[in-house]
Amino acid sequence: MPSFKLDDKEIAFEPGDTIIRAAHRAGVDVPHYCWHPGLSVAANCRMCLVEVMPPPGRPAMMLDVLAWDDLHQTYVPQKKPKLQPACQQAAADGMVIKSQTSEHAVKARSAVQELLLLNHPVDCPICDQAGECRLQDYWLEHQASKKRMKDEPVHKPKGVVFGPTIVYDAERCIMCTRCVRVSAELAKDPVLSMRERGNLNEITVAPGRQLDHAYTLMTEYVCPVGALTSSDFRFKARVWFLRSARSTCVGCATGCSSFTDFDPRSQKVYRYRPRENAAVNKYWMCDDGMLDYQRIHQGRVLEARIKGEGVSDGVALEKAAELLKGAAPQKTAVVLSAEHSNEDNQALLDFAKALGALQIYYTGRPQGQGDDILRSADKNPNTAGVLAVSGGKAKPFTDLVGAIKDGKVSVLVALGSAIGNPNDAGALKDVKAFVALSTHDGPIADHAAVVLPASSWAEADGTFVNRTGLRQESDRAINPQGQSRPAYRWVQELAKLLSLSLPWKKVSELRAASAAEAPAATPSAPPPGGE
Amino acid sequence: MEPLDQELDAAELELPTEPMLLNVGPAHPAMHGTVRIVMELSGEIIERCDVQVGYLHRGFEKMCERGTWTQVFPYVDRCNYVSPMLNNVGFALAGEKMLGITVPERCQWYRMILGEMARISDHLTCDGAMAMELGAFTPFLWMIKCREMVWEVMEEETGARMTHSFGRIGGMAAPPTDGFKDHVRAVVKHIMQVLDEVERLLLGNRIFLDRLENVGVISAEDAISLGWTGPCLRAAGVPYDVRKAHPYLKYGEVEFDVPVGSTSDSFDRFMVRIAEMRQSARIIEQCLERMPNKGPVNVDDPRIILPPKEEVYSTIEGTIQHFKIVMEGLKLPAGEVYSYTEAGNGELGFYLVSDGSGTPFRVRIRPPCFLVTAGLERVITGQMMADVVPSFGSLNMIGGECDR
Repeated sequence: MPSFKLDDKEIAFEPGDTIIRAAHRAGVDVPHYCWHPGLSVAANCRMCLVEVMPPPGRPAMMLDVLAWDDLHQTYVPQKKPKLQPACQQAAADGMVIKSQTSEHAVKARSAVQELLLLNHPVDCPICDQAGECRLQDYWLEHQASKKRMKDEPVHKPKGVVFGPTIVYDAERCIMCTRCVRVSAELAKDPVLSMRERGNLNEITVAPGRQLDHAYTLMTEYVCPVGALTSSDFRFKARVWFLRSARSTCVGCATGCSSFTDFDPRSQKVYRYRPRENAAVNKYWMCDDGMLDYQRIHQGRVLEARIKGEGVSDGVALEKAAELLKGAAPQKTAVVLSAEHSNEDNQALLDFAKALGALQIYYTGRPQGQGDDILRSADKNPNTAGVLAVSGGKAKPFTDLVGAIKDGKVSVLVALGSAIGNPNDAGALKDVKAFVALSTHDGPIADHAAVVLPASSWAEADGTFVNRTGLRQESDRAINPQGQSRPAYRWVQELAKLLSLSLPWKKVSELRAASAAEAPAATPSAPPPGGE
Repeated sequence: MEPLDQELDAAELELPTEPMLLNVGPAHPAMHGTVRIVMELSGEIIERCDVQVGYLHRGFEKMCERGTWTQVFPYVDRCNYVSPMLNNVGFALAGEKMLGITVPERCQWYRMILGEMARISDHLTCDGAMAMELGAFTPFLWMIKCREMVWEVMEEETGARMTHSFGRIGGMAAPPTDGFKDHVRAVVKHIMQVLDEVERLLLGNRIFLDRLENVGVISAEDAISLGWTGPCLRAAGVPYDVRKAHPYLKYGEVEFDVPVGSTSDSFDRFMVRIAEMRQSARIIEQCLERMPNKGPVNVDDPRIILPPKEEVYSTIEGTIQHFKIVMEGLKLPAGEVYSYTEAGNGELGFYLVSDGSGTPFRVRIRPPCFLVTAGLERVITGQMMADVVPSFGSLNMIGGECDR
């Protein structure tokens, strides 16, 4: 494998790599604003300038410059090497490159950073990006000097609404064009562009348009400064109070790797961020997925209910056990949920086996819009997982509707909240002994005689199998809310009351069991990287 | 006259031979903070004793691991709260040793002046309290009044009488005030006069001398093996002073003597402190002369020192600098350091471990008091019960420093 030397570190690269890409892969950071591994090269921020040493025996390309001489208070002619942007310069075998060790590169970066801050407003205290802002990080690392400009900075539009999700601040913008490239290259909707020149530069939306494609929040995510802010997250939280859990998006069957950012003090989730995963979502997530965190706190079932009335856990469990006691096995049905993790489904399946129930169905959220970028039309995170766990025996919800009408089902235990076709909800009315384990309000919770509040995906560890059969784990972020518990815990309690024995005691055993049931060509997701 | 017990058998006169267990503290007025002494008495003689610290446990070393390096200053203030400035400077020097920086000259003199003032306040308190505990209330009032004057100087400079939190890694929170030198000169002059008067009051007093001389003796070998430092060690005749042995700041450039004792009793410890206050005054005088009136106090490195407030509010560079230092903290390079200075009670050491982040990985303090208090058992064993108070007082245990 060919390699080059960066600051005395040998870095291997693949043919066609640029310097920064090879360094990035090797875990060496060359400072940059405009370059992003998932986007084309713009080479406009000039932060990644490096000094490429000439091949042996060849002279370096030198530029004539005027340098200020403090001693004689005058400009004197000097020579300095021509620096190259590491993001655009293709790597060549045996190259010798100086980044932090080149005085010229260090000086150039300091100058670039100073110019980027020249007209920057004093916004850190009110800026959502503060705490994760490249301008702040790089000022300390590469500039660390005071303001020299005495003039009034150039003022530009602030708080420009780009669309339903994004607000733009031109004064904070450094014109790296990452947002322009995300729109054009990821969303295939070149709705953003840059207008004017020099310090009057600003990003604009195409005339007559809004920034409203399905990946608008990625423009905010790639923005290295606080120029683009999400109207959803704007002014809601300060990032240094948030902690991150590695999670898997449950918005659709794609199962993008994400971070769940939550405030440990208030136990509230504030946002998702994409987590780099080459096998699934690369660097990105869609808007629907990014905003899907809201469901963790909205429309939740947070207390146990009997016929719609809130009751304590114990009372609800007693009632549920009473309904299930002595149920005729052939008239007992269990509904699995593609919204829930393998663990929850496996637990319910084991419960069904212990109960002797013979009819297994599954349900989930209705179909939605998909595209060929990331979004899947199947809006359930674990359809593949449910089918694998049940060994393909689970039948769709429509079959249950038929079975209820035919009077074949008198006792029903259902996991989940939504059903595929809202018109089918009416059939559930006819089931007398109906116990539901629901996270959210919906047709299932509405019609059940007993509802036990289940924890959402953010409140328990879980495994989800995406549409390509990839099994991915999602970590718990916050504590279970209200009276909710993970569904498998409810199942465990119910089994205890009914004196049924389940083949597992700990979650780890449950997870191992579900993994054994669903081996279907599923290597666990590769170790996720990301920022 | 014939003895009264002439007729009686000697054995019948013996008092019961079982030792009496006496528990003093942790909440006892003579215990100078929360320490407990369990004594086994034979009559009035202490046969054995057990000194127990640990009733004051704030866990401040652990608390340090939660904030930034700068946020440690309020904690060290509360170690020896009679001379917090010495702790402040000691910790600042440890951080600076790790960063490999030296503060500007003006700051070094400034730190020395404030530090020696703090030392005077420390010794005034100890000697004053010793006198009071032996019934001499007047010197106590005089000395505490002097200490109040020292604290007025501190308040003028730092805004707080006791817990200043005034040190910073890389400098001080603020430069000296305009009237600083005159104020210090006036105060030190007055204190020296009061010291003379205190000596006249006490050193001719038979009761005072009898209670202290040849009481609470400890050998130099014992003191060294216990890890004693400071005035208590010097009273045992060992001339070890960090300021002389390992000069820091500008101590190598000023003239002062290290007073030592000869008999290592409570009286020597009292006198060493009196003499050290006079030496401190000497040092202060030299520092005042040599401290420049103008010039920077803090190092010129935006990674370490906060920008002036007007820059924070008006320029983005200042805002970022402020944000980085306040939110993430200044970053000490990964590694470890042991830095030690002469505090009021001896060698105050800070052992710092940094993982390169803005938060301390480990802060370990070597409080001089803790080791001196460990020797109390040896000092009072074999003494009369009543001698515990002056002996214990002469060690100057400060509860906050014994935090374990």
